[in-house]
Amino acid sequence: MKILLILLAISLGVSNPQKKDPDHILDEVKRTFNKVQDYVVDVNIKVDVDFIKAPETKATIYFKQPDKVHFESESFAMLPKEGLDFSPMGFLKEKYTAIYEKADTVDGYKTDVIKVIPLVDETNVVLTTLWIDESRYIIRKVQSTLKMGGTFAIELKYDNSMKYPLPSSMIFTFNIERMNLPKGMTGELNENKSKDEKKKTTGKVYVTYSNYKVNKGIPDSVFEEKK
Amino acid sequence: MIKIINIELYKIFKKWRTYIGFIAIAVLIPVIQIAMLVEGEKSINFMTRNLQQSFVFVGNLLNAYLVSYIILNALAVHIPFLVALVTGDLLAGEATAGTYRLLITRPVSRMKLVTSKFFAGIIYTTLLVLWLSILSLGLGTLIFGAGELIVVKPTTVIIFARNDVLWRFLLAYGFAVLSMSVVASLAFLFSSLVENAIGPIITTMAVIIVFLIVSAIEINIFQAIRPYLFTSYMLSWRLFFDDPVDVSEILKSVAVLFGHIVLFYGLAACIFKRKDILT
Repeated sequence: MKILLILLAISLGVSNPQKKDPDHILDEVKRTFNKVQDYVVDVNIKVDVDFIKAPETKATIYFKQPDKVHFESESFAMLPKEGLDFSPMGFLKEKYTAIYEKADTVDGYKTDVIKVIPLVDETNVVLTTLWIDESRYIIRKVQSTLKMGGTFAIELKYDNSMKYPLPSSMIFTFNIERMNLPKGMTGELNENKSKDEKKKTTGKVYVTYSNYKVNKGIPDSVFEEKK
Repeated sequence: MIKIINIELYKIFKKWRTYIGFIAIAVLIPVIQIAMLVEGEKSINFMTRNLQQSFVFVGNLLNAYLVSYIILNALAVHIPFLVALVTGDLLAGEATAGTYRLLITRPVSRMKLVTSKFFAGIIYTTLLVLWLSILSLGLGTLIFGAGELIVVKPTTVIIFARNDVLWRFLLAYGFAVLSMSVVASLAFLFSSLVENAIGPIITTMAVIIVFLIVSAIEINIFQAIRPYLFTSYMLSWRLFFDDPVDVSEILKSVAVLFGHIVLFYGLAACIFKRKDILT
């Protein structure tokens, strides 16, 4: 029996050599981000989906811990649902199990790849993979698989001179179903549809952040729903 | 010539039926606008439901431009009736009233007379579309305000920036004048054939409805004849709401519609010139 246990311990030691603690890494990410109590930032948004033609738009994002977000735009803007209010809490707010997967490199930065599996049924996310910069504890890449089907990915770039862990740009990649409205709904009676078009396509949204105002204090009234 | 056109316009606007079109538009557009004010948000949500799975919408899509675009879509079926109501009466009305002989025995050539009546009909048509545009955009702006225009087609979505919309509407209304002028010319042609105004109005509407139905049904034989129906080009104002604008397709539509106007007017003029007013 003793020999068996020793063999088991040896085999475990060989297969899991000195793995990092994923919970510790995620706690560090949260701690780093918690330096930001609130921020206001201007964003420039460019939507790149083959069946959508939209001009570049500008908007302002207001964020306040823990998860208050408010968008403002003088014109109409289409903002990606995920990741825009960049906060790691968005991915880690529910109960979860974290698994350290491997070390990887993103844009030349060494990262730890951690898989996060939510433990609650209510969330729409099945699995999230985070690429965390091992030196600064900031998230450089996110990939999520959703219950309703589809995945999305977020790539974040940071300005190295920035004091806070906030991105300077983001690329949001997602799957989206093509438009398929019945004739007459749009009044287009004669438009020919291409029959060989795939039902789903991949879209990208490029977001550039500028004019960060961090920890200046934002009143709660900003986040109240205007009726 | 201008004097005769003025006289014809005076005669048109002296008739009660001329104002039916303006009144109908004055009633119809606020009704649509109020309905959109109440239900418009739901319609937009339905049309953009799959986009809203990935995007948060910020800003006002329910605005004067969107409502005007929806109203302009109704042009194909409803406005031709209002146009035919007056232009179908231009020549037949004289026959019904028994004023043909009185009119034609005046020292004005038949050609001048028929041309003046035709131009008066086109001016009425232009004023009707102008009235539609003023109410759609003007009243719409007062109720909803301006904003970006979302054009949802069966397979694409285009969002036009606020400052990129007005010129499209101006050209689209200009094109609508041309489309409705075809209807006016057709009604004018039928008007030259009969002596009762009801016939040209009903026949014009019947032709348009049949052509529109044939255009809309996806059967190969109908699809093959679609390019030969003038109704297929009447809604080409929508091309102004494309990105990029297909100029060659618009010019083709303009040429086809203009050709139909010349053809219908030419036929009406020929028939009127040879008209026997003695029996």
